[in-house]
Amino acid sequence: MTRRPASTPAEIAAEQVSFAYPGCPRVLDGAALSAVSGSVTMIVGRSGSGKTTLLKLLQGLLKPSGGSVRRSAATVTSYIPQGLGLVRNHTALQNVLAGSLARVGALRSVLGAFPAPVMCEARALLDRVGLAHKEHEVAGNLSGGERQRVAIARCLLRRPDFVLADEFVSQLDAVTSLEMLELVRQTAASGIGWIITTHDLDVAAGSADRVVALKNGRVVFDHARPVRVGELLEKIQ
Amino acid sequence: MKPMARRTVHRVFGWGVLAAGAAAAAHLGLLSGESWGRSWANGADFIGRMFPPDPSSLGTLVGSLFQTIEIAFAGTLIGFVVSVPLGCLADRSLFGPAVAVPARVLIGAVRSVPSIIYGLIAVVVVGLGAKAGVIAVAAYTVGYLAKFYYETFEAADPEVVEALRGVGAGRLQVFWHGVLPETANQVLSQLIFMFEYNVRASTIMGFVGAGGIGYYMMGYAQMLQYRSLMTALLLTFAVVVVVDAVSFRVRKSFSYAVGRKS
Repeated sequence: MTRRPASTPAEIAAEQVSFAYPGCPRVLDGAALSAVSGSVTMIVGRSGSGKTTLLKLLQGLLKPSGGSVRRSAATVTSYIPQGLGLVRNHTALQNVLAGSLARVGALRSVLGAFPAPVMCEARALLDRVGLAHKEHEVAGNLSGGERQRVAIARCLLRRPDFVLADEFVSQLDAVTSLEMLELVRQTAASGIGWIITTHDLDVAAGSADRVVALKNGRVVFDHARPVRVGELLEKIQ
Repeated sequence: MKPMARRTVHRVFGWGVLAAGAAAAAHLGLLSGESWGRSWANGADFIGRMFPPDPSSLGTLVGSLFQTIEIAFAGTLIGFVVSVPLGCLADRSLFGPAVAVPARVLIGAVRSVPSIIYGLIAVVVVGLGAKAGVIAVAAYTVGYLAKFYYETFEAADPEVVEALRGVGAGRLQVFWHGVLPETANQVLSQLIFMFEYNVRASTIMGFVGAGGIGYYMMGYAQMLQYRSLMTALLLTFAVVVVVDAVSFRVRKSFSYAVGRKS
């Protein structure tokens, strides 16, 4: 794999991507978006506008039927689905350790023999998201905000250039939502790029470095901050 | 089709099925009063000869019943060890149709053979005794458990799979660290159900010489020792009731083990 110089920010871009699920009309129709690491990009749009599909294309979970997804050399992405995708009967620590699976060999991970440095890193990340004391709690017993933090720690353990998060703060109460956004800003300051889909136009306008609006599978707005909520609303309606 | 016409079709179809059932019953001699009269008399005579149960055969039967449970346990365990990876390979969301379809065909083929036939084949291959019973029960278990498992694995939360793929996990890792723990309760519950079923299925293994209490049941029936046969049936019934009750409780505890608080 070609190494990217540490000082160069990573880039990811969707170039005129189109996508349709089998037997359905196109969800995306020539959508374009680009982002660099260290910034927070938020994608807004009504339900069915193609936000989640665009995120999955960027992550490589889906393949575009038209256009392409381009990444700078050695760019690593992590994905957080809308429901977070935590294993309910695994502990917080076990869920976080899943973030290391790409660098721990298959056999080693199946045997549960995670290297000591990885264990230390996972614990440090749990500490960073404020959950060191819940290390052994099963995910099914954590609150919504705590699960969100575990999902962030899992993603960060992969040491990604970008975290792609679907409807990341949409289902949280106002205080927890602000805490999550603060965590996003902190990690962005350390060089991680965030691409987040959200329904909440206030959150997008107030917290993102760049806001992209989708309507009927096309990008109808792409602007760096400051962004006005009224303008966003007008574009997506 | 209009509702009225649909109702008429349903009615005609219903009467047609009833008429076909009656014709089949007549063809098989089930509607002959004389035949039923004889059968009732034979049945009453047979049941009369089964009582009172003969306690002198208890010593032999308890040992052979224990062997039946051992056959069920070992066969279920071996079947489980094979079923988990086979069920994983048959999961279309993990391995795609190129691997999943052949795996499903194999599972279907294994399932299409009745346990008693596996017993006959195993007796021919490894000889009379419990070993043949274990092999037969294991093969039969694979046919069912692997099917239960791939259906369970495919129904696992797709977001768990996406989240793990989204952090770069390979297929085996997605299965081991996501799908399997996510479905662990169902997997264990189905395993216990299969053991419960196999305790009953193992009884019949003795009929073909594959060990267990069935061997004695067959012998008692052939030698017209109906009172001893009744003892064997009552003993089996008692064990099946206990295994059912324990299995139900254990499966229930697995169903509610996780997710009490959310």
